[in-house]
Amino acid sequence: MKKKNGTLPWRFSLPSMVLITMIIIFPIAFTLYISFTNMNLYHWDDYRFIGMNNYIRALTKIDSGFLSAIVTTIIWTVLNMVLQIVISFFIALGLNIKGLKLGRLYKTLLMFPWAMPAYISILLWRVGMYNTEYGLLNKFITAIGLPKVEFLSENIPAFFSCMVLNLWMALPFLIMMMDGALQSVDHSYYESAKLDGAGWWARNIYITIPCIWPIIAPAIIMTTFTTFKQFDIIYLLTMQKGSLTGATLNTVITYAYQNAFVSNNYGLSSAVSIVIFGFIIFFSLFINRGIKGENI
Amino acid sequence: MKKKIALLLCITMTAMGIIGCGNSEESLATKGGSASKQSVVTIWHDGDDSIMQVIENGVNEALESDGILVKFEKKSGLTDQMKLYGNDEANGPDMYLYAHDSLGTFVEMGILAPLTDVIEESDYSDMLPMTIQAGNYKNTQYLLPVYFETLLFLYNKDLWEGEVPSTTEELFSYMESHTDTASGQYALVNQHSTAYNVAPFINGFGGYIINEQSVPGLNDEKTLEAIEYNKKFAALEADGDYNTVNTLFNEGKAAAIIGGPWLIAGIKEAKINYGIKSLSDFTLPNQNALSPYSGVQAIGIMKYAVENKKEALGKVLKEIANPQIGIELALNSGCAPANQISYDYTEVAKDEMIVAMRRTADTAKPMPNVPEMSVMWGPIESLLAAVNKSGQDTKEAASEYQKQAETAIQDMK
Repeated sequence: MKKKNGTLPWRFSLPSMVLITMIIIFPIAFTLYISFTNMNLYHWDDYRFIGMNNYIRALTKIDSGFLSAIVTTIIWTVLNMVLQIVISFFIALGLNIKGLKLGRLYKTLLMFPWAMPAYISILLWRVGMYNTEYGLLNKFITAIGLPKVEFLSENIPAFFSCMVLNLWMALPFLIMMMDGALQSVDHSYYESAKLDGAGWWARNIYITIPCIWPIIAPAIIMTTFTTFKQFDIIYLLTMQKGSLTGATLNTVITYAYQNAFVSNNYGLSSAVSIVIFGFIIFFSLFINRGIKGENI
Repeated sequence: MKKKIALLLCITMTAMGIIGCGNSEESLATKGGSASKQSVVTIWHDGDDSIMQVIENGVNEALESDGILVKFEKKSGLTDQMKLYGNDEANGPDMYLYAHDSLGTFVEMGILAPLTDVIEESDYSDMLPMTIQAGNYKNTQYLLPVYFETLLFLYNKDLWEGEVPSTTEELFSYMESHTDTASGQYALVNQHSTAYNVAPFINGFGGYIINEQSVPGLNDEKTLEAIEYNKKFAALEADGDYNTVNTLFNEGKAAAIIGGPWLIAGIKEAKINYGIKSLSDFTLPNQNALSPYSGVQAIGIMKYAVENKKEALGKVLKEIANPQIGIELALNSGCAPANQISYDYTEVAKDEMIVAMRRTADTAKPMPNVPEMSVMWGPIESLLAAVNKSGQDTKEAASEYQKQAETAIQDMK
């Protein structure tokens, strides 16, 4: 029986594997190939193999700007993740309070930012919230007699403005995951704990978190990567072509984009991409190990 | 049985996925079939369909008896499409109509043929010199100019008090006395940190963003002078964002705006009683006129097309160079024609905006068409934003972004 079905799983997964090869593996392999060539504007058709030259050039880009981008990316990822996990946990707890009226309505409203296309959300925030003339925040600020604030023209306010928007856009996913996980926790644990005299904090620390952790851990890993490689928010809020705000905030991805991807030098850009790809793979192994370790 | 059906479905799905990625034999055959009956000239563009329709109608009408049919096809992100198909005869266009500033990129890629491979110099001798210069790269003429765009001074006649000044210093004085940033009322708004909109000052002061030898000039003395001069205007021009400044003008919160003809439709819709003045009519303190950039919409020819359709391409280009096409474009689409003769037509000469554009063409400079310009927008706009929005020292910022520009240019090779 076992022998008969030996190739069946492979045959069933063949279409997906072909598609994955075409859509994911082939572009990565082709990027790797291009990264060893001098394909650029001046060698469009007659590009040739140039060994590790592009990698040497890519690594020389690790200057003070790149290091500062790494620091910004780490602060950005850590701050966003801590806030996202804490806020979404408490919101999910709130949504699971017994007897909560209109719970479904709240859940639907909380999903709204996630359902909106990111591009539209970002531009809406840029104009509708942060704009000096039409932004809601400045309307409030000027209404109480204070001068207008340029939220996006300096690095620190721009960082926090981007972070608030990122939270707005990313929280629904974690709330949804935590809400689902919370509903799977057996209520008898809480009843026993109550009988043993456990308070609200103790119940959450010793029952809720350990019970939901296996479910939310993959969601946290996914969100961590999305946050780490965040490009849209920072680019569209502060550095969109023709609408630069003055902030020079850079994450690893925006830095790489600015320094390698606008040059029409496909060889160099590919080498930078492969370096970032390696960096993200390393980061993912590191995080996966950390989580496995905690599970043990 | 179920397993067989599932397997069959899997195979079908995979096969369809693969077939979907391939070329359609039928479409190629159809293309070849129709081409044998009449010569079809395909022109890609990324502009307004109605403008292309005017050109298409005019040319097809004139060349009907020659059996030549021109087809304009819109391709969003034309530069990227040209990179993909610029040397692909089966899937690429015969010609393209696009802004001239990507010319150097396409020439260096080796996908364009010189204009003189198809038509004589005399066929385009009536074009405005500025538009001809725009289509010239390394002393070879590659583009046939069709129409051009540049910046204008647009003002709200109901809000502007008195005459519009003729010097930038008078304009600044007017701005100082008629702007209240706290209440959101502005005399003039401009995208003060966008390179295209600051170019009138930079060029007027004798500075440059990048020169013909592809050397960036962000820390050039004249460029610095211009950026410093623009800074005082920027402080009174709101945040300089495209949407913000347009809305301020269209809502009557700004009495004037520096913008291109593309704003006119929105201004008309907002029912603003607007007037137009050429930027050439404003004098800087150094007595030079403001000198904006101009984007010239021009036609380039693909190398492979010249080999097979030389005669047809020549006839099409000669028709497009005809002043009548310019007249049609001006009257139907509000475009400023590249052909000087088109302006002699009475109805065209009556159009305030087109006349202002024609006048500006005398002092306007075509946007640089060297490929290195494509990496200059980032550094120059970062410099302008740093100076106007973050309050960074002009000289310090210019030095930083000059280095960034030089690195970006090195990275291209």
